[in-house]
Amino acid sequence: MEVLLDKNRIKNFIEVLLGYGRVFASWEKEIFSNRGSKTRRFVREIKDNFSDYYIPKVRTFDNFKSFVLPGRFKVAEYPSEKWIDIGEKGEKEVLLGIKACDLNSFYMIDKVFLEDSLFVDPFYKKRRESLILISSDCGDSLDSCFCNVLGFSPYPEKGFDINIVELKEFYLLEIGSKIGEEISKNLSLNQAGKKELRERDEKRRKVKDKLEKQNREFSKAFFYLESIAEQAFDSDSGWELGSACVSCGACTNVCPVCYCFTLFDRKGEKENNYKRFMVWDSCQFKGFSQMAGGLNPRFSHIDQFKNRYYHKFFRFYKKFGVYKCTGCGRCIDNCLGGIDMREVFLGALEGVKR
Amino acid sequence: MENIYYPHKGVVKEIKEETPKIKTYRLKLDKKLSFRAGQFMQLTVPGVGEAPFTPSSSPGEVEEMEITIMRTGRVTSVLHKEVKVGDFLGLRGPFGKGYPIEKFIGKEILIVGGGVGLAPLRSLIYALFDRIEEIKQIYICYGAKSPEDQCFKDEYKDWERKKKVSLNLTIDESHPKWKGTVGLVTCLLEKDYLKKIGIDIKNSYVVSCGPDVMLKFVTFKLLEVGFKPEQIYLSMNRRMSCGFGKCARCNIGPYYLCKDGPDMCYADIKDYPNVFC
Repeated sequence: MEVLLDKNRIKNFIEVLLGYGRVFASWEKEIFSNRGSKTRRFVREIKDNFSDYYIPKVRTFDNFKSFVLPGRFKVAEYPSEKWIDIGEKGEKEVLLGIKACDLNSFYMIDKVFLEDSLFVDPFYKKRRESLILISSDCGDSLDSCFCNVLGFSPYPEKGFDINIVELKEFYLLEIGSKIGEEISKNLSLNQAGKKELRERDEKRRKVKDKLEKQNREFSKAFFYLESIAEQAFDSDSGWELGSACVSCGACTNVCPVCYCFTLFDRKGEKENNYKRFMVWDSCQFKGFSQMAGGLNPRFSHIDQFKNRYYHKFFRFYKKFGVYKCTGCGRCIDNCLGGIDMREVFLGALEGVKR
Repeated sequence: MENIYYPHKGVVKEIKEETPKIKTYRLKLDKKLSFRAGQFMQLTVPGVGEAPFTPSSSPGEVEEMEITIMRTGRVTSVLHKEVKVGDFLGLRGPFGKGYPIEKFIGKEILIVGGGVGLAPLRSLIYALFDRIEEIKQIYICYGAKSPEDQCFKDEYKDWERKKKVSLNLTIDESHPKWKGTVGLVTCLLEKDYLKKIGIDIKNSYVVSCGPDVMLKFVTFKLLEVGFKPEQIYLSMNRRMSCGFGKCARCNIGPYYLCKDGPDMCYADIKDYPNVFC
């Protein structure tokens, strides 16, 4: 179902969302410094000053995985009966304006934490069920964007509660779930006509064309992603770009799908009370798989570097049938060594037996 | 919903010093717990951290558990130094698949251990003893650095006395107190020696546990004397944090050792990178 929201009524829309829980929006702001001005996009909680709010055209700098997997959080306090079970559902959190890449990332991480029948992560489940996802179309693309190459589109196709498309005169709202329907009923909106739908499709095609144009050269490598990743460990040729890696872990921290973590324990404030935390970890760190006694199955720097590709495009694909990458390009923007994932694949493609 | 990160209580009932560096902890469990031989537990030293260990006691015991631990890293050092009888430790698990004992029925089992690697195998040995009628023969080959470094010394006599069990020991370097075989554990796997103890290579399975470098050379030696990769099970215990295939660090190829192992059939993993360190 598609409905139309007047542009000046976005305020009402956010007010309705605030009735459901805390609202976190992707935000765009011009930031001035002595080096000139720069547009910054980040995630921020909406409280009351949203009169001039509009949804940014492209993805934010921050990813949204911290809403389901915070950087550090307590998973147990022991010995204490209270922590054996974790209670009921949490309060709702609304994510406003997230793009297709971040939306897809939730469904990829779900596979690991929810769809594994043996052990379901209770903390993830609680957080995940409390999310209301209000996504939005991309109105443009960044240089680092490459979702189209992985078979995704720069607009959400499924999995949202409401999707917002910015048209010239209206916001077009696509309703994707029961909760989305409930939200839109509060606003009593008109159905969208054929004209508006045509305008939406036109807009989407434009962005997709732009993406296809900028990634044309790289597309050929992506047919062989799985075999590149599988054969990666056989040869070092083609992986020269890895030597620019400084093992800082930025790529895994900004990645919306990288979920690797570690558990660590601390003494509590009281006597005989201990706490356990889950923190983000990164396969790019040397200590990631190092054992007591100093043995490390991925000892060399290049093996660590390759492991990220191996996990994203081979191991995860083997298990779940999808690549563990949404093509958001954040790892490209944030790499200290200037490593572009697309170029790594193009380089490695030459060493692959096809 | 149950919190899978919460460590259940296990109170230390007894500590036995096996060797200067290895101790066996007998724990009284908070809740009844059954495991398959080869499955591992995440043992918590309160406030210090977790590390994966395979119980060394019989899987038949559900109220108490023995875990044999060597002092090597951060967690085990604190464990050896500070934990006393009456203290509590945390336990999560059991995790992993364990040994495929059903496959061993009607076969000869060659058990190859090195150092503290005999601990998980001891649990398997007890499990096999329970079904000894269905097993053809058990050959235990165990190597340690010196006679002082041998684990579970006082049990050897009982093991040897059992029917269908042959115990073969070796130490790395000659020692005034030692009269038996001298050499690395692979010397017990030489063709002549296997012929002497009378193993039927075609109708057997091998289970091995020990240091990484030992596993590597044991595997090569086994292949050399005629075992097939399908017959070899290796305990690939790597660094693990979660225990159920989510934290993504203990992988070999597409397998997570914590979930699909830790005892892997060599045929499954041999073509993947970084099988041995």
